[in-house]
Amino acid sequence: MASSALVTPAAPVTTAGRGGRRPRPRTRRKTLTAYLFLAPFLILFLTFVVAPAVFGLWISVTDWSPFRDVQHFVGLQNYINLFTPGSINSGDFWRAMGATGIFVVASVPFLLVVPLLVAILLNRKIRAATAFRTIFFAPYVLGVAVVGLIWGYILDTQSGILNRLLELVGIRGDIPWLVDVPWVWVSLVGVTVWWTMGLNTVIFLAGLKGINTDLYEAAAIDGAGAVRSFFSVTLPGLRPVMLFITTTTVLASANMFGQSYLLTNGGPGNATRTAIMYISDQGLSQNNMAGASAMSYILFAFLAVISIINFRVQRERQEGPAA
Amino acid sequence: MKKALSRGLALGLALAVGVGMAGCAGGGSGDDKGVSGGGTYDGPKVEINFWNGWTGGAAPVLVPKMIEKFNSEHKNIVVKDVPQEWADIASKMPLAIKAGKGPDVAVLHGDDLATYAAQGLLLKSDDIIKGLGYTADDFPPGIFDKGNYKGAQYAVPWSVTPLGLYVNKDVMAKGGVTDIPTDRASYEAALGKLKDAGVQGEWVDGFVFTGTFELESLIWQFGGDLFNDDVTEATFNSDAGVKALTWMTDLVKNGYSPANVAQDGNIKALLAGKTAFNWNGVWQTTNDAFTGLNWEAAPVPQIGDQKAVWSSSTHWVFPANKGQDTNKTQAAAVFVKWMNDNSADWASTGELPGANSVRNDPSLVEKYPNLKPFIAELDYAHYETVAPGIGEAAAEITTALNEALTGKKSPKQALDDAKAKADQILKQNQAKYGQ
Repeated sequence: MASSALVTPAAPVTTAGRGGRRPRPRTRRKTLTAYLFLAPFLILFLTFVVAPAVFGLWISVTDWSPFRDVQHFVGLQNYINLFTPGSINSGDFWRAMGATGIFVVASVPFLLVVPLLVAILLNRKIRAATAFRTIFFAPYVLGVAVVGLIWGYILDTQSGILNRLLELVGIRGDIPWLVDVPWVWVSLVGVTVWWTMGLNTVIFLAGLKGINTDLYEAAAIDGAGAVRSFFSVTLPGLRPVMLFITTTTVLASANMFGQSYLLTNGGPGNATRTAIMYISDQGLSQNNMAGASAMSYILFAFLAVISIINFRVQRERQEGPAA
Repeated sequence: MKKALSRGLALGLALAVGVGMAGCAGGGSGDDKGVSGGGTYDGPKVEINFWNGWTGGAAPVLVPKMIEKFNSEHKNIVVKDVPQEWADIASKMPLAIKAGKGPDVAVLHGDDLATYAAQGLLLKSDDIIKGLGYTADDFPPGIFDKGNYKGAQYAVPWSVTPLGLYVNKDVMAKGGVTDIPTDRASYEAALGKLKDAGVQGEWVDGFVFTGTFELESLIWQFGGDLFNDDVTEATFNSDAGVKALTWMTDLVKNGYSPANVAQDGNIKALLAGKTAFNWNGVWQTTNDAFTGLNWEAAPVPQIGDQKAVWSSSTHWVFPANKGQDTNKTQAAAVFVKWMNDNSADWASTGELPGANSVRNDPSLVEKYPNLKPFIAELDYAHYETVAPGIGEAAAEITTALNEALTGKKSPKQALDDAKAKADQILKQNQAKYGQ
């Protein structure tokens, strides 16, 4: 969806300005080989992603019930219900979407900035760099159940070690980390950053290694300090990586489920019940498949729009100076 | 907690299965095709599949032993034990039954029975149960009917798990309290004395485990109920409900409980010697962390006008597999009776055997003395409401409790809002499950 929108304005530039970019016959044969290699994955993708997605779209326009043999087409009724205030699911669904939004806005900046800084530190020629890299990546291999259990102990209001430490250093020792707002958000974002930053760090690190060191030398000769070369060399050099990481991180955060399911149970009230939590509960526990499918597609639409905007903004910046 | 946790973890898997399951609607009619008999089976040799969610605690050792014994005593029946996570049962069993590949006998949680029965997944078992000679009098009061849906009996009780009062006696002694409180006056007096000694006596939490169980116990104690008789309307916002929830929020207001207790924060505090009382389920009696602690379990105190306590239950069911072999169901019935008759050691799993004859045998409490107070509670225990899809409506009770305890709403406001939502859900359920 993103590519079709983006290719069009770029096309004239390609043909007019830079020749020799059209695919030649040899490249075309190479492409065919590539497609052949991709075919096994494509089959899996069609079977387990595309087909269920299409099936879900069908469910979302019916009054689907697992207890009936015949399902009736109801048009957009399930979607209309979600946009009708006071209907049984609309209030809860939009509250859950709101909770998801809060989590994305609060977590994504940290999940970009912290791993970037860590990656820059790890990229320096320091002793035991590999050991540090392993340490930062280690939490990522843990399952969400383990993460939930560990942090459940640490963040307990009364007997958690974090509050005990805060009390020892003179800050209040009764912060309801997992029980009340706004602390639950701090906890959920903090735990998620600790848990998943390793992946982003490793990708950033790969990106940093790909930046030509000559550029840093040239910048140094031109009199650029550390800060200047970070903004003028490092960041521009990381743009393709940044685009990838931003997109995947936004999507991952929007799909947050386990952390709030295990740590806060969606509480207080339903303040931290995310969209995925609500959709899975409705569809799988409450047998409300039709409504849940419609919700999934609304969530999908939101994420698609955000991804397109993200691509646009970062792609334009990338091509700006080059043109 | 295990059940809830594993349910959550398997949701991802269940999504895929759920979609597939939705694809093949329909299913068995739910008639038992004339299975009966007096607890014996003399037909051809059969192998029956038994599905259960007993994957933790003492069960994985105990159950295979019991089944081995049963198999050796019954020449023409071979029972195959198929333990798996509860969440896997929930996601696989409906599909398997519709495809004729489900178990011949299974154990389910009481609050799931109606949902399965409404889908036509279980055999109407009146004749089977009559053949086994069971009546409601063979089990604790109130539990047998939980297997009844729309006038037909679908289940035989297997175990019950009531709430009780866990006491850290060393902490209680700090407040100069010597006797475990049994009613409102003595309980509040004990909490007051403990407060004077600098101990917050009961830490109240706003989660299913176990704040919701405490709230529901209190609602029944104050003479209320969670839903009306035909489960068309939520009634937990009655005066009794408001009194119950207010009593819990007052624990915090009066300084008997800290605010913002996290999930399981209270049992951890009891074990760590920071609080004296915790309302928790009989399953905690098998918690190894109690070893070396000076503790005792007691019936929950009577705070309201009458004695009442929350309990959950598990039940035997006979699935209505497509093309179910009546011989296998007949053999399964023999197995169920035998298991209930030999369920004394089920107490080692932290659950009470459902069969009165076994549970009330003096040798049981001799072997498992911690269970005595829980057994005493069964005369006035209340079980979870029976209606298809009840879980979603009942979840609103937890939301209300949580909102009231975190100060988001007054007890009355929280319960009124939850009732309005629950009523909507009940109405939707009626359409969904075709009542």
